[in-house]
Amino acid sequence: MTFKKAVGATDHLANAWRPGLQALRANDRNHVSAEDTRRLKGSVDIDGALQAQHPHANRWDFAIGYRHSNRQQDCIYWLEIHTANDEETEVVLRKLAWLQQWLASEGRPLKDFECDFIWVSSGSTSFTLTAPQVKRFAELGLQQRGRVLRIRDKR
Amino acid sequence: MPRMTSRPTRNSNAAHRQREKRYNRNDGCGTDGPPTGEGRMAEKVAHLENMTTLKMKNLGQIKEANLTFGDLTVLVGPQATGKSIALQLLKLMVDAGQVQEEMGRHGLDWDQKLPEFLDIYFGEGMRSIWREGSTSIEWEGNPVDLPQMARRRRPNKEETLFFIPAQRVLALRDGWPRPFTDYAPGDPFAVREFSENLRVLVEQEFGPSGDLFPQQRRLKRELRDLLQKHVFSNFHLKVDKFRSQKRLVLGAEEAKEALPYMVWSAGQREFVPLLLGFYWLMPPTRTPTRGRIKWVVLEELEMGLHPRAIGVVLLLVFELVARGYRVCLSTHSPQVLDAAWALKHLKANGAGPEALLDIFEAQNTQSMQKLADTVMEKLVKVFYFDRETGTTNDISDLDPTAEQEGASGWGGLAEFSGRANRAVARAAATGQPELFK
Repeated sequence: MTFKKAVGATDHLANAWRPGLQALRANDRNHVSAEDTRRLKGSVDIDGALQAQHPHANRWDFAIGYRHSNRQQDCIYWLEIHTANDEETEVVLRKLAWLQQWLASEGRPLKDFECDFIWVSSGSTSFTLTAPQVKRFAELGLQQRGRVLRIRDKR
Repeated sequence: MPRMTSRPTRNSNAAHRQREKRYNRNDGCGTDGPPTGEGRMAEKVAHLENMTTLKMKNLGQIKEANLTFGDLTVLVGPQATGKSIALQLLKLMVDAGQVQEEMGRHGLDWDQKLPEFLDIYFGEGMRSIWREGSTSIEWEGNPVDLPQMARRRRPNKEETLFFIPAQRVLALRDGWPRPFTDYAPGDPFAVREFSENLRVLVEQEFGPSGDLFPQQRRLKRELRDLLQKHVFSNFHLKVDKFRSQKRLVLGAEEAKEALPYMVWSAGQREFVPLLLGFYWLMPPTRTPTRGRIKWVVLEELEMGLHPRAIGVVLLLVFELVARGYRVCLSTHSPQVLDAAWALKHLKANGAGPEALLDIFEAQNTQSMQKLADTVMEKLVKVFYFDRETGTTNDISDLDPTAEQEGASGWGGLAEFSGRANRAVARAAATGQPELFK
């Protein structure tokens, strides 16, 4: 199944799919750089689309589909754009926990895609690659990628 | 969708700081009070004036390198990318007369020929780094004629750059510093001269017996305490005699038995020559520096040391910088860049000296605060020697989000961590992380 079809098959996301990075606001698009934009398979504003159903949840921001040149299936980049410092760590981890639970329930059609959970900073970051905090995120499946998610042609 | 914005940074010139105090003067002699606008401008001008440039083209592995030295300059990059050549060349640029004088004094003769000179100075076989017609050097914006330098002896002058080489462990044999002439003619000048300086230090500035470490008049008490804890444990570094031969040994304060050089740990063997180098640079006098020395080169300070010990050595480096030396390091330790990164951000956020000391678990005493405060005002430059291009990149921003991988990965020092993080995150994303069970 393609990313687009899976989005269409997901409760409350039927009309949420947008081509390219159009689900992201102009400012947010600066946080994503795809090596081959033709390989982008659309995007979804998860936060906005699920606001009515999960008004008090720590909702995740976006999902971006991409077909890498060395993959037969679409991959999903689950993207959170958020201040990257120690104070905000727990907020982002709560969002990640919410996303995992959502994927295990309503979001099930999107669960089995090869994916990365990415946190990019909306401003400067106080994490270095060698920071123990970044190791902790990795153990939880979360990648802290600085300010910009760079999607390479080959995964 | 709520968006957090970056926390506003505090004014880096916070009024409670007294950064204008001169480190090497007694309190009360410096200019107290917060820097004024004029003071800040003067600070910037002083920084610019303090910048020194060295450019190299087609020298050894270096295709093109442009270095601008700060108060503390850090060179990073894979093995054999030209870091050591650049640092040895820096020594030659500032101390040509002294180098030639020292070589001549110890019976080394290069027949006024550049290839022979290079083999003697950089070490055997190093004549190949110079490619006639394509190699060029620029120092302080002026072209340097190295063949002419080899032909004509420069007038001697006192040493202004003290070089602590990566091979410093060779400076001791059986626990005693080797003289210049104890080395083979093809051994690098930097190693031989460092060794000779240690010999002079140990023979002339210390008594025939007694402790070299700890010594009350050498190094700050807080630094001694950290060295005791992280490098020497409860041991003292002493001079003793074995069959009339003086030697350095390690021994507990009260113990009769001493541990000779060959049973020291690898880290202790690496560290003792380094400690003696620091002693040389920090004489027990009211003058904070030795002779006319203005520059210090320290290659690979991390060699053989545990990260806690590296932290103490970094504090000693900060002490050199605070005393007014311009220090150049080469390193393969991400910890050094962590420290440089922290300095930059603490300064930008107007943090106090205690924040810097906290990183090193150093005592928050007045003396250490003064040290940290002074260092936080200094200019730090970081350069990456890129093997792929043969060029240098200024990565002083140490921005983990930089577009260039060499910059965001801190010249390769953090790249491995980055890849490990990504691999584990991907595995965990498809596994069952504890958090979500």
